[in-house]
Amino acid sequence: MDRYVRARYQVNQTPLFQMLSADQCGEIYLAALEILQRTGAKVYDRQSREILAKAGCWVEEELVRFPVGLTEWAVKNAPSKIVIYNREGQVAMSLQEGNTYYGPGPTNTYHRDPYTGERRKALLSDTENVGRVCDALPHIDYAMDLGTPTGVTNTLADLYAFSALVKNTRKPIVHWGFDIEQYQDILDIGVAVAGGLDKLQQKPFFCLYSEPSSPLLHSREAIAKAVFAAQNRIPIVYTPCVMLGATTPATLAGTIAMGVAESLVGIVVSQLIREGSPIIMGGVYAIMDMKTTVFSYGSPEFHILQAGIAEVARYMGIPVFGTAGCTDSHTMDGQAAGEAAMSILIAAQAGANLVHDVGYTGSGSCGSLEQLVLGDEIIGMVRRFMRGMVIDDETLALDVVDKVGPGGHFLGEDHTMKHFKSETWFPTLFNRMRYHAWKEEAKGSSMGERIKDKLHAILANHQAPALPGDVLQKIEQIIIRAEEREASKKKRR
Amino acid sequence: MADFEAMAGGVIAGDFNRVAELTRQAVGEGVEPVEIIGQGLIKGMNVVGARFKAGEMYVPEVMMAARAMKAGMEIVKPLIAESDLPTAGKVIIGTVAGDLHDIGKNLVGMMMESAGMDVVNLGVDISPEKFAQAVREHKPDIVALSALLTTTMLSMKETIEVLQEEGLRGAVKVIVGGAPVTGDFAVEIGADGWAPDAASAKDLALELAGKK
Ligand code: B12
Repeated sequence: MDRYVRARYQVNQTPLFQMLSADQCGEIYLAALEILQRTGAKVYDRQSREILAKAGCWVEEELVRFPVGLTEWAVKNAPSKIVIYNREGQVAMSLQEGNTYYGPGPTNTYHRDPYTGERRKALLSDTENVGRVCDALPHIDYAMDLGTPTGVTNTLADLYAFSALVKNTRKPIVHWGFDIEQYQDILDIGVAVAGGLDKLQQKPFFCLYSEPSSPLLHSREAIAKAVFAAQNRIPIVYTPCVMLGATTPATLAGTIAMGVAESLVGIVVSQLIREGSPIIMGGVYAIMDMKTTVFSYGSPEFHILQAGIAEVARYMGIPVFGTAGCTDSHTMDGQAAGEAAMSILIAAQAGANLVHDVGYTGSGSCGSLEQLVLGDEIIGMVRRFMRGMVIDDETLALDVVDKVGPGGHFLGEDHTMKHFKSETWFPTLFNRMRYHAWKEEAKGSSMGERIKDKLHAILANHQAPALPGDVLQKIEQIIIRAEEREASKKKRR
Repeated sequence: MADFEAMAGGVIAGDFNRVAELTRQAVGEGVEPVEIIGQGLIKGMNVVGARFKAGEMYVPEVMMAARAMKAGMEIVKPLIAESDLPTAGKVIIGTVAGDLHDIGKNLVGMMMESAGMDVVNLGVDISPEKFAQAVREHKPDIVALSALLTTTMLSMKETIEVLQEEGLRGAVKVIVGGAPVTGDFAVEIGADGWAPDAASAKDLALELAGKK
């Protein structure tokens, strides 16, 4: 019989923290509702505006004002749980309260060459590498491209990137595309892989991605992507990049309220297209550094904003896109590690669900596989931390204490054998060797060097299982069809 | 005697009430408007520019200083003929076709304005034709193009080509910028200059407009 059982025992199994109270979350949410009713947002898509007007929005040319009741209706209708599968149809991520998943980020201008460390434009071979490295790293839960590939038809870079990812990783993919034509191509690849549209809809293995433009502008493509996703029942992330002091007020609360308002526009449209459409709010809430004018991915305010948006989204019952594992540093150094560690921990503690941008360096300008490998190690550490501790008779271990008694040791106990592996985490990159071993066996290596070694070993050895031949063929056909379409567009111009 | 030092100090501190008051006072004392601008208002703003570049001032402080300078300008402007108005040059700026990133471009525009340049901000997603149209309409010294996307950078080249085709290229200097844009790219597409950030963009524009 358990001896340590109490009635009304409060359990804090994971070390979540709470920055905002439920009332404060409510206050921010209500402020976002007011922004949309009072100020409104510009929506540059006629069809969406018509749908919104029919639902009771006030529409004057592009400006749409949203009645509070409609927005609240949409939030209540949007699912609070979205399950994402892997390429093989197994559950990979349950985006819901309490679960945090990590992956890289999209579309960087530059990519850090994994061998020379040089910053250069991304190539399709980099996207393939990103797929393979994501596939290999145990704590990276899904893939994004980490750099728009060059050297391919540039209006199809998104399609090539998706095809490179899906061939090289079994894990889910979160993907950006130029416009809905390319999203149709990407959807068709998804259908080919899943073996049918209905199968894909039931077990989506990728999410689409769209960005409104703060402050309060929703471009035609941005909103059309949300419509496309809802029509096709594919989950979509609707995520602004808000910039405190530049595209939003200089205050944290005002910035979160505005960011929430941006995502709400996507939520309303998606729910009007189809009630219950899976949509994830976001995303990248940062400051503009008022000295350098850089959009900073490592400031402490970034972490407060991340915690804030995660908590408000949880209050609203909508899965949330987080941002972590990124840095303003342009190289692999102490700053890169420190900033990544802090954001990865806070994302988990705040309960962000789909956390992206692991591998972002140079304030988002450069994708780095080294930063991704570093992030994987830190995520491992954070995940252990987040498991917290179990308290029961077995873990309090009073019988073992009594058996060993004063003096002696626990090294040979069955209880130790049973628990030590699951209770403690073992690093693969952080060094815990004694000085001599480090000097001799590890050749006095730095963390940065070990990261490179691990990355190079993955690139040399790891390959995800190939897709079946007929699926690969279908993907080729979809790409050929897209190339023909783009070529004919060029001719028409 | 007008207190130019206090006027410049007011600009640096972003104290637009004080700058307006000092300007009105100087005008009342019969000080030459051109002198008020040169010795007081612009002089203060030049200090602001230098301090920002040195990392001693922050963007919002620069914006407030510009606002204070403008408060003074508004008072003296009606007193001088347009042609006598000392301007550091006229710029039209916009984000190129297909690109919606605008805050960097706005900062560059504001920084140029704060250096006494006349800036027309066309907005985002501006086609080569619209740039050409704006050149005809505003007759600027400088056309400043911003792009944040690798794909839309190509529209910078097209814009330069359209200016060429329409016979407008010779009359203006074209400068380019935005995160993915490099100095090499600027040379490649035949632009006259490139700068990595707002403060250096302003210096570049002043230089190309021949006012520095
Ligand atoms: C904020 C942001 C957005 C916002 C913009 C909101 C707004 N109101 O502007 C939104 C959400 C709309 C957005 C959308 C998209 N974005 Co965006 N965005 C950013 C982000 C995070 C910050 C840009 C920024 O404003 N920085 C702060 C300002 C002050 O700096 P700046 O723009 O660089 O400007 C300075 C200098 O470049 C220079 N400068 C700028 N213009 C000029 C002009 C001249 C003449 C001169 C001399 C100098 C100069 O001076 C400025 C001030 O110092 C960057 C990442 C990054 N770190 O740059 C990505 C980034 C630019 N975006 C990117 C992309 C791909 C997109 C999207 C396609 C979606 C996506 N992320 O996948 C859409 C495209 C929409 C469209 N059609 O334009 C990529 C670009 C990759 C590439 N090279 O192609 C980046 C690099 C992020 C990334 N890694 O994915 N984005």
